[in-house]
Amino acid sequence: MTSIQAILIGCLVMAAILGSFIFRARLMYRLVGLLLLLTAVTLVLFPDATTALAHMLGVGRGTDLLLYFSLIAGMYAILLLYLRIRDLERKITEQVRAMAVRDAQFSGSR
Amino acid sequence: MEPKVFVVIPAYNEDSILRATVSEILKRGYSIVVVDDGSARPASEVLAGLNVWCLRHNVNLGQGAALQTGQLFALSRNADIIVHFDADGQHPAELIDRVIEPILNRTADVVLGSRFLNPVDARQVPFKKRLVLRAGILVSWMFTGVWLSDTHNGFRALSRAAAGRIVIRENGFAHATEILDLLRRSKLRYCEVPVAVHYSEYSASKGQSVLNSFNILFDLILRRIFH
Repeated sequence: MTSIQAILIGCLVMAAILGSFIFRARLMYRLVGLLLLLTAVTLVLFPDATTALAHMLGVGRGTDLLLYFSLIAGMYAILLLYLRIRDLERKITEQVRAMAVRDAQFSGSR
Repeated sequence: MEPKVFVVIPAYNEDSILRATVSEILKRGYSIVVVDDGSARPASEVLAGLNVWCLRHNVNLGQGAALQTGQLFALSRNADIIVHFDADGQHPAELIDRVIEPILNRTADVVLGSRFLNPVDARQVPFKKRLVLRAGILVSWMFTGVWLSDTHNGFRALSRAAAGRIVIRENGFAHATEILDLLRRSKLRYCEVPVAVHYSEYSASKGQSVLNSFNILFDLILRRIFH
């Protein structure tokens, strides 16, 4: 095993443990996370596998294939997060608005 | 019976200019709702002693959100006409009569103030700002299909029925284009009236920057995708 493989596997395992803590109450997330971890570790240990897959899809190198996929995954994650933020913003707005209307004051009357 | 006119003024850190703006409107006998959008110094302090309604967002949400809050409140106080008015003193209070007139005559449900109908008013607008606003007209038309002589002008009037149907969801500055979008979908009758604007150094410093107009564009694109 080369040292980069050791570093990558170490990081992956740490991320998986962290994710497992974060999603403590969600079995489905944990299972998907475990599957991702195993896939990632396999690909790190057998880098030629990604290259073979890349060739099948018409991409020259396995690392390029991974780059393309990770870019798309990253964009997708950002969009999902944006949707969540918009939803949160809407809820906050509703709350703040309700409070503002409830506590309306007529300043001249004081 | 006299129609109840409520002037909704969104305010964020406006302080002394807000008091001057509000005093001018009070002289004309309209009801006023100031929506303090989380200012550092509460607007109720700034406006102490004046006969106005003060509502406060305890966090800053944006101008669109503040307008919607004010509109909701005015409707709950049985407003017949709701006027949107900027806090920074750029709109002359004496023009409120002109802006609400088409609603009183029942010739329109929504009235939009325009800086570009009257060449004299248009010349008041700084050149750089004029370019951006012209681009804004084009963008608004592309997104809403409503062609106007001016967009992103904060001076508007809505009938009670219109205000109930124009529910602003864009918290930020994109609300101006959103209103046009809702206007077209709701098939409400609208018209433009010329309004003069007074650009002081103060309002220029508070106004939206040119760069921010790109932000508005992005908001609109995202709105198209996610709604």
